[in-house]
Amino acid sequence: MKTLRFAIAHNLGLVLAIGLFVVLYAIYVSMHPNYGMNVVLQNGNEALALILVGMAQTMVVLIGGLDLSVGPLMTLVNCFGSIVMAGTGGSIVLGVIACMALGAACGFMNGCIVVYGRIQPIIATLATGAIYLGLALFLRPTPGGRIDGDFAWAFTNDINELGYTYGWWEDLGWFGLIPLQPIYLILIVVLVWLPFRRTATGRGCYAVGSSEAAAFMSGVKINRCKLTAFTLAGFFAGCAGIYLTMQIGSGNADAPQAAEYTLRSIATVVIGGTSLYGGSGGVIGTIFGALVLRSISFIFRVVPESSALGFVASPLLQPFFEGVILLIAVSLGAARTFRVRNRLSLFT
Amino acid sequence: MKHAMTAAMLATAMTFAAGAALAGPKTVDGPGYEPKCFVPWNDETAYFQWEPREGPFKVAVVNGFVGNIWRIQMIKTAKAYVEKEDVAPLISDFKVVSTGTDAAAQLGAIEDFINQGYDAIITIAVSPTGFDRVIRLANRNNVVLVPFDNVLDTDEVMQVNEDQYEMGVMSGEWLVDHVGHAGKILEVRGLPGNSVDRDRHEGFRSVMEGDGNDFEIVEVVGNWAPGDSQKVTADALAVHGKFDGIFSQGGTNGTVQALIDAGHPFVPMAGEAENGFRKQIAEHSKEGLLGLSYGQSPGLVAISIKAALSALQGETMPQLISVPIPVVNFETVEDGVNYWSNLPDDFFTPNDFPPCGVTITAPEIMAESEANN
Repeated sequence: MKTLRFAIAHNLGLVLAIGLFVVLYAIYVSMHPNYGMNVVLQNGNEALALILVGMAQTMVVLIGGLDLSVGPLMTLVNCFGSIVMAGTGGSIVLGVIACMALGAACGFMNGCIVVYGRIQPIIATLATGAIYLGLALFLRPTPGGRIDGDFAWAFTNDINELGYTYGWWEDLGWFGLIPLQPIYLILIVVLVWLPFRRTATGRGCYAVGSSEAAAFMSGVKINRCKLTAFTLAGFFAGCAGIYLTMQIGSGNADAPQAAEYTLRSIATVVIGGTSLYGGSGGVIGTIFGALVLRSISFIFRVVPESSALGFVASPLLQPFFEGVILLIAVSLGAARTFRVRNRLSLFT
Repeated sequence: MKHAMTAAMLATAMTFAAGAALAGPKTVDGPGYEPKCFVPWNDETAYFQWEPREGPFKVAVVNGFVGNIWRIQMIKTAKAYVEKEDVAPLISDFKVVSTGTDAAAQLGAIEDFINQGYDAIITIAVSPTGFDRVIRLANRNNVVLVPFDNVLDTDEVMQVNEDQYEMGVMSGEWLVDHVGHAGKILEVRGLPGNSVDRDRHEGFRSVMEGDGNDFEIVEVVGNWAPGDSQKVTADALAVHGKFDGIFSQGGTNGTVQALIDAGHPFVPMAGEAENGFRKQIAEHSKEGLLGLSYGQSPGLVAISIKAALSALQGETMPQLISVPIPVVNFETVEDGVNYWSNLPDDFFTPNDFPPCGVTITAPEIMAESEANN
């Protein structure tokens, strides 16, 4: 019991994010006329790229920085992916790996500029973000490219559809209805995030974010931690770009969209309970933060305009209400600072 | 037990097969339904036909970007149209969402409406590519998806637009008719990189650079916005002194304002359908502002809804529908009919399409505005 209370107290941000998501999503589910696994699939489809970009942002925020290049990097990988993933069969797999490598390499470059150039992350990534967007525009001056339709369809669907499309297996019953998006996410978390969190470098990232000076005095390898955090951020942003490429089947160097993803990634981090001062939080919270953000816009689509809440769904007022709910969500995350006796306890 | 399972699997397989058989429209031979309204883009345009079904229908509009007057007027027009006497009984649910510039959110919204069991989804795509997946999903679920205005680079889905190239040709011909075959012309272009800007420009040049013409054309970029267009026109006037004719793709009222400010005499002009430009034509045509005003109408949304409803009822529809371009000139411009002296300058005037039986008056659209705010 005591352990549970301890665990909750130490993950209050995460608990709040999950709670908020459950409430918002329950509203959506209760109003949806045909709720089922295909709706979960759709929700996953819409949320996954944002979740991954949010995870990328979380890495940099954890070490006390802010990364303005996550959106542009996703866009660059999308444009690159629309070229290298355009084949069929095995060449697509190679393309996906190339995209991951590009993401990680760009993240590593961000890290090098911050660590060896000694430039604040927010300024360094403002510059590299512009570079990535410029490269994306160079690769795709106009939206285009077409990756294999069957591949794009099958790998953004559920397990059954994957089997049908390629003739690998027949109807697998309830198991086949599981969408692929949560599987991708779980794989990334289990294979990348959790192992990383347990390494000395992973713990070092938290230490650097809490207090760089103290971490240095304690012998934490600060440069290595920062480089790893940025590289992982690039990797996550690259994964977002890959998923976006599968989803839209083409490449688009869309500058407003890149900016929107960057800004939203910061919101997902804050809602997810990661401190903007660094050193506390994690990507699990961010996943729920992104789901909260998406749930807000899900609700607009199911609120009947004739109902008492109908005014919320007025198309011209939607951005306004989205902003208000976002503000409330962010404030809830920040509210816990009011009741701490000692600010240090936030970071323990 | 074993038999039961086999039967269940067979049933599932058959449902699936039946679902696949229903998927999407059949390609059929023309001519299509109401050919004067739903004009096929060209001779090669294919025709689609869906299985007819019983109304009333659930219809959603998935807008992308919101935040300029054209989009807002488009949304109001959609709401006004579905309240019309002859349309309302066909529609049981009508929903409008704006998803911003995020492609994932727009695709997600379309997918969500497909899952919710909507019959038709009207959309202005945020990108000309990237919709293959939702097109496939819509076809599988027998949902009629209709992109309009910013159309997609695909021939697998029914789309609605006006012929932008033809608008450029029309403008070029107007200037040739009223300026002659030689002179100095100012061309104010739209948003760079956009297909609409490119097509209007190419159409215009195809006439101006044709045989027997000898024009000197000065090109500036006005982004379709009155402020930008006014500024670049003022700059061009300062540098070049005098023009014999002007083609301003959009923000045309700003172009005219720059002429007035510079004390430049009025010249023949072709431009967009902002209420402000038509007010100016009406006021200054006797002083030489021989204006032609074509319009990319926010009312296209109404035509798209009409097309979707017709398709749902099993009519034969062209894959790419060319909506007639609403045009007025200085002789046909008339207060209260094709412009409104009591409405703001940035109101887009053309909202009626007689060949389609679609007429939505300005007061009807403005009434929607009050309901929203």
